[in-house]
Amino acid sequence: MGRLLAWRLPPQQFDVTLYEAREFSLPRGACWTAAGMIAPLSELVHSCREIYELGVRSLTLWRDWVNTIETRTGQSVCFRNAGSLLVAHRQDKSELLQFQRELQGKLNGEVSAYVQELDAEQLRQLEPTLEHFEQGLYLRNEGDIDNRRLLPLLLCEISRQGVHLIEQSPVECEPFAINSDRGREEFDCVIDCRGLGAGERVKGLRGVRGEVMVVETSEVALHRPVRLLHPRYQLYAVPREEGRTVIGATEIESEDMSPISVRSTMELSSALYSLHPAFAEARIVETRVNCRPATMDNMPYLHSESGLVCVNGLYRHGYLLAPALVEQVERRIEQQINGEKV
Amino acid sequence: MLAVSDPLKLYGRAFGSRLLVGTALYPSPAVMREAVRESGAEIITLSLRRQNPQQRQGRMLWDYIRESGCWLLPNTAGCKTPREVITLAEMSREIFQTDWIKLEVIGDDYNLQPDPYGLIEAARELVIRGFKVLPYCTDDLVVCRKLLDAGCEVLMPWGAPIGTGQGLLNKYNLRTLRERLPDTPLIIDAGVGAPSQAAEAMEMGYDAVLLNTAIAKAQDPVQMARAFRLAVQAGREAYRAGLMVKRQTASPSTPTLDMPFWQQVDKTQQD
Repeated sequence: MGRLLAWRLPPQQFDVTLYEAREFSLPRGACWTAAGMIAPLSELVHSCREIYELGVRSLTLWRDWVNTIETRTGQSVCFRNAGSLLVAHRQDKSELLQFQRELQGKLNGEVSAYVQELDAEQLRQLEPTLEHFEQGLYLRNEGDIDNRRLLPLLLCEISRQGVHLIEQSPVECEPFAINSDRGREEFDCVIDCRGLGAGERVKGLRGVRGEVMVVETSEVALHRPVRLLHPRYQLYAVPREEGRTVIGATEIESEDMSPISVRSTMELSSALYSLHPAFAEARIVETRVNCRPATMDNMPYLHSESGLVCVNGLYRHGYLLAPALVEQVERRIEQQINGEKV
Repeated sequence: MLAVSDPLKLYGRAFGSRLLVGTALYPSPAVMREAVRESGAEIITLSLRRQNPQQRQGRMLWDYIRESGCWLLPNTAGCKTPREVITLAEMSREIFQTDWIKLEVIGDDYNLQPDPYGLIEAARELVIRGFKVLPYCTDDLVVCRKLLDAGCEVLMPWGAPIGTGQGLLNKYNLRTLRERLPDTPLIIDAGVGAPSQAAEAMEMGYDAVLLNTAIAKAQDPVQMARAFRLAVQAGREAYRAGLMVKRQTASPSTPTLDMPFWQQVDKTQQD
C-alpha cells in the first residue's frame, strides 16, 4: 500500500516521505510474501460482494497502472489477465459444484457470465499439462501480478518522483506527526498503512499466518493461476518466470512468524504433486511465511480523521484490493486538502 | 434454548442448550461469533494444534472467542498419538483455565476416523491427570464401554466422518449405544450436514449434537445456526413427547364411523 500510494500522489502537489520498518529491498510486509493473485471471483466464495466489487475495480486499475509503470521504466512487471482455473480430482468433483453454487448465491445467479464449465478437452486446450483432470472451471476476469518485479520497479519510480525514502525506521503514527528514532516529524497528513504494526490503532486487528513455497521445474508449464479444490486442503499454483511456481497458502489463526512447518510443507507439496506428478522432481527454491493483517470481519479497515488516514486489514486480499483502496485514500486526502469534513 | 427444566448435564454442570458448535472454517471471526450467538450454543469447541500454542500466537482469536461468554471446550484435533494429545491438553488447560477436553485421536487421514486404541489410552491418562474428557469416538459399543471404564463420563460418537455431512450413517449402532448406555450423556459429534439430521439424532434420544462444518460452510452461517438451534430443540421435544410407533396400515386421524372406507376413496376422487 505504501509504495503504491507514494507512487500515486502527484509530486507536483505532494512532498511525500515513505518510511519502512526494515529495508526497502527486503520489505517485511505480506506484500513481499504474497503470490500476487487478483482473483475477485475466486475470493468471492470466501468473502462478500463488497470485496468482489473492490477486486473488479482493482483489476481495471491494475491494467492501467501497470501500463504506466512499464512505459515509464521500460520493464515488465509480468501482469497477466488470463483468467484462472479451478480443478478437482474425480472423487472431489462435488467441490466444484459447491464452488459454483456458492458463487451463484453471491452473484444472484449471474454465474455463467463469468464462469465457464470445462470438459477434459477444453481444459487441455487452456492448460495442456492438466491432462489428467476431467473437468474444471475457468474464471475469465482474473489476473495476477509478479510482486517481486512490481515492488522494486515501484521503488525506482517513487524515488525518481522525489519521494523521501527512510528505511530501518519503525514508526508510531498520529495525526499530523510521525514518531521514530529520528524524533517527531510533522506533516500535513499521515497515512498509516503499517499492517500488523498498527495493531494498537485498529481494534481487533489480528495476524493470520500464511505459508508459501516456491518450486522450480521445467517439466510443468502453466499459463495462469490454478486452484486445486479439495475437501481439506486448498492449493493455488501461480506460474512465474524461469519455470518457477508459487504455491500456497496455508491459513492459520496465529501470529506465529516462525519458519514453515513440516506439516504445511507436506500438505502443499502433496497437493501440488496431485496437480501434476512432474512436480515431484521440482526443486523447492524458497519458502515464505508471513502474517496477513486482518480485522475480525476480514474486511479492509479505512479510517480518516484530520491529519491522519489509516488503511489496514487487507487480509488475504492485498493485491486484489490495493488499487481500489488507494483510490479511496486519495479521495480522503483530497477531502482533507479541500477542508471537507472527513 | 431449551427449558431450564430439561438441562443437559455434563460432568455435573447444567447447560440450557443441547447444541454444541465448533469455531473453525467460518468466513470470519465476526461471522463465527454471530453464528454461535444465533445457535444458542453454550459450549463451543476450539482447536489449538496448528497455532503454535507454546508461544500463545493465536491469542487474539482466543480472546475474541472467549468474549462470546460460552463454555470453552478445547479439542485435540490433528493429534495422532496419545503423547501429542497429553501435551496439547496440558497446554489447553493452562491457556484456557479449563480441565475439560474434547479428545480426538485420529487414526486415518482420509476419513479422520478416531483411533480406538489411542483414544482409550489417551482417555485413561487424561482422566488420571484430572481432565474431564469428552471423547470423539466411533459408534462401536465396545470402544464406548472401554472409554467409560477409562473414566469418561460423556461420549461423543460420530454420525459420519468429520465434514462429510452424511448424517447418521449407522443408525443401528447409534440406537444400540443409546439403548445399552441409557445413563451416559451421548452427543452426536461430526458428520451432521442438515438440521433434519440433527433433529433425527435428538429424536433417537441423543442428549446433544456437536457440529461445525454444516454451519460454518453454509452460504449464510448465521441463518443455518438458527436452523440447527430450532432442529435440535424440535428433536428433543419430540423425543420427550414420545414419538408414535410406525405402522404398516393407514389410520385416519378423523374417524368417519358412518362411512365405509371405499366410499371415502370414491368421494375424494369425485372432488
